[in-house]
This record gives sequence, structure tokens and C-alpha cells, in this order.
Amino acid sequence: MHREKSDILQNLAQAVIDMDMTRARKTAAEAINAHMDPYEAITDGLARGMDKVNELFETEEYFVPEILLCADAMYAGIEVLKPYLPREAAYHKKKVVIGVVKGDTHDIGKNLVKIMLDNAGFEIHDLGRNVPYAKFIDTAGELNADLVCLSTLMTTTMDGMQVVIEDMKKAGILSRVMVGGGPISPGFAKNIGADGYAKNAAEAVKVARGMFQGIQIPLVIKTPELVSIRKNRGGMQ
Amino acid sequence: MNPADEMTPKERMQAILQGKKTDRLLVSPLILNFAARSLNLKVKDFCTNGRNMGDANIACFKKYRHDIVYIFSTTSTLAEAMGTRMYFPEDDAPQVEIPFLQTREDITKLKPVNPEKDGRLPVYLEAIKRCVDAIGNEVFIVPVIGAPFTTSAALRGTETFIKELYTDPELVHAVMKVTTQSVKNLIDAFVKAGGVPVTVEPVATGSMISENHFRAFVLPYLKEVYAHIHSYGLPGVLHICGKTKRVIQCMAESGADILSIDNIDLKEAKDLVGDKVCLMGNVSPADGMLKGNPEIITTMVKDCVTKASDNPKGFVLATGCEVPIKTPHENVIAFLEAGRKFARLPIHFN
Repeated sequence: MHREKSDILQNLAQAVIDMDMTRARKTAAEAINAHMDPYEAITDGLARGMDKVNELFETEEYFVPEILLCADAMYAGIEVLKPYLPREAAYHKKKVVIGVVKGDTHDIGKNLVKIMLDNAGFEIHDLGRNVPYAKFIDTAGELNADLVCLSTLMTTTMDGMQVVIEDMKKAGILSRVMVGGGPISPGFAKNIGADGYAKNAAEAVKVARGMFQGIQIPLVIKTPELVSIRKNRGGMQ
Repeated sequence: MNPADEMTPKERMQAILQGKKTDRLLVSPLILNFAARSLNLKVKDFCTNGRNMGDANIACFKKYRHDIVYIFSTTSTLAEAMGTRMYFPEDDAPQVEIPFLQTREDITKLKPVNPEKDGRLPVYLEAIKRCVDAIGNEVFIVPVIGAPFTTSAALRGTETFIKELYTDPELVHAVMKVTTQSVKNLIDAFVKAGGVPVTVEPVATGSMISENHFRAFVLPYLKEVYAHIHSYGLPGVLHICGKTKRVIQCMAESGADILSIDNIDLKEAKDLVGDKVCLMGNVSPADGMLKGNPEIITTMVKDCVTKASDNPKGFVLATGCEVPIKTPHENVIAFLEAGRKFARLPIHFN
């Protein structure tokens, strides 16, 4: 006998919050057995759990290890559900290019922002760490990216952000730019011409959403690598 | 001697440690890789050669007469000596490239360091000895050691390591035991070379892990480190940059006598732990030293002194973290001049 649907959704969310990959996989399999809509299992189950995780991070109950493990649980559940999703039609979705600027290999902060933006429904193109300036510009141009996120932990590399922003303008690329990382302040972000600054991953979601306010981002599931998911939130926050 | 001073940095520090009267507070911008600039060296040439590292710090001291001369290149130097592979940019601090502990089983290969032989530790030792010989009568030479948690993270890869706080706590403790022994070996070697070692634990910052994890995985090992430093009759100094409000109570329980802090209000820190430990901080390296100007820096120095110079257990004026390599010379001068002006005792403001 299958449990009630709402129980399963609740358990999916809870498995993410509890950092439990095994339970996320098991509960995702239960959702399939119960003939639930896999979209719903992701958006109202796993992603809802990750939203709660985001809140716990903001209130400083969860820290970096917790977020990384919650994300592992979420992606473990998604792996189980993915084969049951119908093939995707191309949706219009907000494309984000993200990376750590050249000279810096510290990427935990960038990875947290990636996880949170992915969960918030953005399509993420992760360039990794120690990324040459031109790579941001080329990728943003090729993809016609909506947003470029630049991260650094070091004072020696923060000026590279300004180079990227200026070169993007010269190349006629209109993507918006959000910056963040240890030494970055709102004042610095403004001075170098960034469109947004976020002090942490939770705030990055708010800032990114704010930039595209009023524009509906439909639910998008991408098969390879990271999966973009979005729960229907009934408008932007 | 700087005309505004009445004591050498060494006399000042000794007096403070003995609880005697001094002409002013210690003024200690965290000049680390920035010292390379005093001999117009690229950071790579500075941090891979003991002669360069020592001579640049000597030249830097002669130029600025700051109260503490640090010997440092990166927080991962100890992990590097234990097997982690580093990437050396031409003109920036080395960074972790390939962590040593690729698999759980690699722990069997992990050994405490031999500071005379392993990695770039001999570079540090040579730099310390050169500084001690040249300027050791005027100023303490203070080599900086990555503390056990930070060293362990650089050995295992930070993301993997901090996840293992939950998934493999046994491994975390096993790695921490070996790195703690390494830290102690390095303290022995640095003291023998004439240095006064201090420790940095930035991976345990409050932006990264919770207080519970700090208590379980960081604190016991820090206690062991400071007990070892105390056995030499030296003070324990703990630097953690980033946000530290959440973990500052734990830091104060570590046995460290001085906490060097970055992103926390000094008044708040004073109220929280000022009755237990001396505080050190915290002019902003980015907005102040690198991007600011002499006027901004003077204001920031004044603000720090106003907030913390009456800390019950003392105060050292410093930057919150490393003085950036590209910091303009006049900004360092502004920091030191403002320090010499405002940090005179008793504190009076016009």
C-alpha cells in the first residue's frame, strides 16, 4: 500500500532537510510507485526542502557542510525521478553563467550560489574556478546569458571583476552582472559597475529574482548534469 | 626608531606581555606577502626562497617599523609539506591544487612533518633565521602556521572535509590528530629558529561551520596547540578571518591569549570575550587598505581604537586579514601613522 501523496512530498522535503541521501532516493522511488507526477515530487517535495534549507542558512542554523549535504540529498532524489520525466520542450529560462575569476581557486562560495540559484529555477552554466576573463565574456555571448555571476575570495583577484564587466560592455553583451565573495562590499560592487551584489548564497537568490521581477520562469528540467528545478511560487518574492 | 616612538617593537611587546607600562598600543598591520614589495619581488620568488623571504621582510621592517614581523605565504603551507600539491601564481599567494588525501585510505600515508626537510618549511626556517639575525634585537619574528582544521581541510579538500564532519567523523579526527602533531613539530622548529609562532584557523570561521562543529572538531585540537605554545612560555595567538561572532566564545576557550579577528564589530567582541582575551583587529583589508585612501584608513583606525583600546585584556591594532599585495604604500603609512597617533596611552581624542 502507498502512503498518502502529501506524506511522500513531506518526506521528500524532510530527507533533504535531514541531509539523508538514502531516504531521498527511497522516498523518490515511493513517489514513482505511487504514480505521482515526478515534477510535483521535485518541486513540492525536494525543492521545497531545499527552500527550507535556504531559510535555515539565512538564520544561521545551517552552515556550509549542511548545505552541501542537503544538496547531495536533493540531487540523489532527482536522479531517481529523472527517468520518469517527459522529454522537455524548450522553455524560455533565465540563463546564468557563474564562475570564480582568474587567479582564485576558492570555489565553495560559488558552489553554494550555484546550488541555490539552480534550486530557484535558473539555468546554470558553471565555468568553475580560476576562470580567464575572456571565458566569461565568450560564454555569456554564446548563450545570450541573462546573468553573469562573478565570485572571488581574494583581494588580489577582485579587480578582475571590473575587467570582466568592462570587457562585456565593450563586446556589446548586455547580460546583467552579480558579484560576491569575501572581500567584496556593496560599495565595491557599485564602483565597478555591477548590477547586483549578494553577501551570501541565500541573498544571491533574492537579488537574482529581483533583477528579473515580473518575468515568469517556467519550470525547466534539464537532463545532463545539474537539474534546474523550480516550484511554482505564484510570482516573485 | 620612528620619531613618534619611545620603545622598540620588541621592548613594547615584552612590556605588554609582562603587564608593564608602554608608550602605546601595538600597531600591527598583517604584512605577509605584501613584504615582497619592499624588494620589488614577485610573490612566487618571495615565497619559494628563504633568502628572499627573509630579506624582503627585513627591508619591509626597516621601511615601516611595524610592531610585528610575520613570516607567511599561505595557510596551506603545512598541508603542502604533508603532501598537498600547490599551484604557484607568478605574483600571488600559492593555492591548493591537488589535496593529498584523495581517498579515505590515503590516511595511512599521512605522517607528521619534518620541518627541516618537508615542502617549503625550510624556506620559512631560513627566512626566520635571517630576520632574527638582522632585526631580532628590535622586533619579534612571528611565523604563521595553519592550525589543525585548516591544514586538514587543505589535505583532504575543503568541501569533502567539511561534509565528512557528518559523514565520516572518525576520519576527520584521524586526520586532525596527525595535523595537530605536525603543527606541534613546526612550533618546535620555529621556536628553535628564534621565532614566536602564531596560528591561523580560517576554515573554522563562523561563515563556514557551526559552533557545535567548532566545539567537536576544532576546539580540542586548538587547546592542544596552545598548551604546547604555553609550554615555551609564549603567548597563543589565534587568527580567524571572515565572520566570527558565532564562534568567538569557542575561540576564547581555546587557550589562545590573543584573538585576531576580522569581520565582527570590535565593541561586540569586547563585550563577548574581552574579559578573557586580548583582541586584535580589524581595519578592513579590502575597503580600507586596498581600496581606501589615507583619510578613510585614519577614520577606520580611530574607530577600532575607540571601540577596543579599553578592552580589559588588551588590544592590538591590526588589519582584519592580510594586507593585500597591491595595497598602496601611502595607505600602509596612513595606517601606521594613525596607529601611532591614536594608540598612545592613555587614549585621548581631540
